[in-house]
Amino acid sequence: MNLMESFWSALQSVRANKMRSFLTMLGIIIGISSVITIVSIGQGGKEAITGQFQDIGTNIINVEVKAMDTSIELRDYFKLGDADLLEEKIPEVDWVAPSAESMGYLKGEKESKFAHMAAVDENYARLLNIDMVEGRFINEGDVRNARNVVVIDDVSAEKIFGTVKAVGNRVKVSNQSTDTNVTIAGVCKNPGGSMAAMFGDNMPAMVYIPVTIRDKVLQKPEITALSVSLTDMSHSGETADKMIRLLEKSHRNEDKYAASEGFTEMDTINSVLDIFTMVIGAIAGISLIVGGIGVMNIMLVSVTERTREIGTRKALGAQNKDIMLQFLTESLIICLIGGIIGMTLGVVLGLIVGSIINIPLGVSPLVIFAAFGFSSAVGIFFGLYPAQKAAKLDPIEALRYE
Amino acid sequence: MIIRVENLKKIYNTGEIQVEALKGVNLGIEEKEYVAVMGASGSGKSTLMNILGCLDHLTEGKYVLDGEDVSSLSGNSLASIRNKKIGFVFQSFNLLPRLSALGNVELPMVYAGTPAVLRMKRAKDAMERVGLGDRMQHKPNELSGGQKQRVAIARALVNNPAILLADEPTGNLDTRSSEEIMDIFESLNDEGVTIVMVTHEHDIAMHTKRAVVFRDGAIISDKPVENRITGNGGIRA
Repeated sequence: MNLMESFWSALQSVRANKMRSFLTMLGIIIGISSVITIVSIGQGGKEAITGQFQDIGTNIINVEVKAMDTSIELRDYFKLGDADLLEEKIPEVDWVAPSAESMGYLKGEKESKFAHMAAVDENYARLLNIDMVEGRFINEGDVRNARNVVVIDDVSAEKIFGTVKAVGNRVKVSNQSTDTNVTIAGVCKNPGGSMAAMFGDNMPAMVYIPVTIRDKVLQKPEITALSVSLTDMSHSGETADKMIRLLEKSHRNEDKYAASEGFTEMDTINSVLDIFTMVIGAIAGISLIVGGIGVMNIMLVSVTERTREIGTRKALGAQNKDIMLQFLTESLIICLIGGIIGMTLGVVLGLIVGSIINIPLGVSPLVIFAAFGFSSAVGIFFGLYPAQKAAKLDPIEALRYE
Repeated sequence: MIIRVENLKKIYNTGEIQVEALKGVNLGIEEKEYVAVMGASGSGKSTLMNILGCLDHLTEGKYVLDGEDVSSLSGNSLASIRNKKIGFVFQSFNLLPRLSALGNVELPMVYAGTPAVLRMKRAKDAMERVGLGDRMQHKPNELSGGQKQRVAIARALVNNPAILLADEPTGNLDTRSSEEIMDIFESLNDEGVTIVMVTHEHDIAMHTKRAVVFRDGAIISDKPVENRITGNGGIRA
């Protein structure tokens, strides 16, 4: 008996007990689909996070003023000149993006909104993936000429102007003591994504201003961070030391700055996400094992039910391996069909859940191969014992079985 | 000689008691013979049938089937001997319920590795031979008892075995169907098929040409059947 014939014969017997086969498959379907859903969402989440950092490559070092240090004085904070200094004196430095951040208010004619305000220069857009919906981001001219312009997020634009097409409109930015009139140069996508849309007013507005107007707009105008892009990351530690020493020399202080690689943050998030995916995936994997036990159970029932058939087949000349193959293909078919249905269901479920939480789904061909691989493995592993039991039956006993 | 059995012993070990089911049987069956094996239950006739059918191992002695000593063959070798040299007809038909009549007849050839096209042709021929040319696609539960047994006979013959072994072939059939089956056996034997049939019914044994009677694991009588009942020689569809 060859493989093809045992395949057709097994398919026939699966079809003969439709309800039973389906219920047995259900365990596999649930197992495979939940594993795939979870892995796809985890993968999609990772890709989404990576995407935020994608365009700038991996060569960013953040130099920050140690904010927790109470001995920090005003003169310790960075100046705009520090950025030029680093660019000039350290050959590995490509460009520097200084930034200062404070909370404040964004005020329209009627509406007002709590806002997270960042004073940045044109390099900032190379640091974070900022999606422009309308207009442009802060540019070199804005910084050089200290223009009163802002870039605000789309959710806030919608709230204040009723539309994202708000370029050219005037708003006020406030640091609580004074208001400054500014012109909107661009509208960008809220970095909070759908979370911002969901929480609406409770999420602060995102406001970017040219770093050169920070003194009149920000409550705390001190530059606390310099994001440095290096041309060569291979000696990033030494370069970071070199930068800190240069800054310390220029500010005549010691031990006030710390450097960190921008990607360590993303790596942390990713590894947390990986562990999360793995743990939930493992729990889902357990349901696959339970499904496999269901297959084994039903195959044992099937062997007992068909004892006479096995005896007859043996009397007609079936070898042990023929019987073995017959039952093994049967459990394999149940698991493979279950695997295919489970995979489809898992991808669909992942797409639905992914679209609800606004994460692009990461369905790789690997997932499909893994689904086939796992369901076949379950079919063979849990089908082996019943098949062996069938193959070892004594033909006389089996023929006599009532 | 198709079957040669010398000093055949079969001992069952059931716990501490040893049961000697066959106590040194000697039996020879020639080609084209038609033999009835008779005896009460427990006489050892079923044990003999299982050994002759290569379903069971013998404890002692020698069994030569169609020129091959099969006394000490292993399970899988015996399976292949059964496949090539023995055709079984059982009391309870033992047809596979999910397969069509034709599918059942094809089964021994599936295990012999016969190509599908040839299989189909030979299965159809065998079905014609037992007069069921018009019932090939029927499932066993759509056939009468007599028809089922005829499918089983077609299945037993399809690999051209050296011997047809029938175990109470009429045990589950009414008188008319029994006569039908006996007619088929009669004409098969006329065509040269060697048949060994286990039965406890005297009437059925009267159709054969030689009766071997067992009692307590030994042959007590072995002689030609006198006043044979011969059918009309034809096969009624």
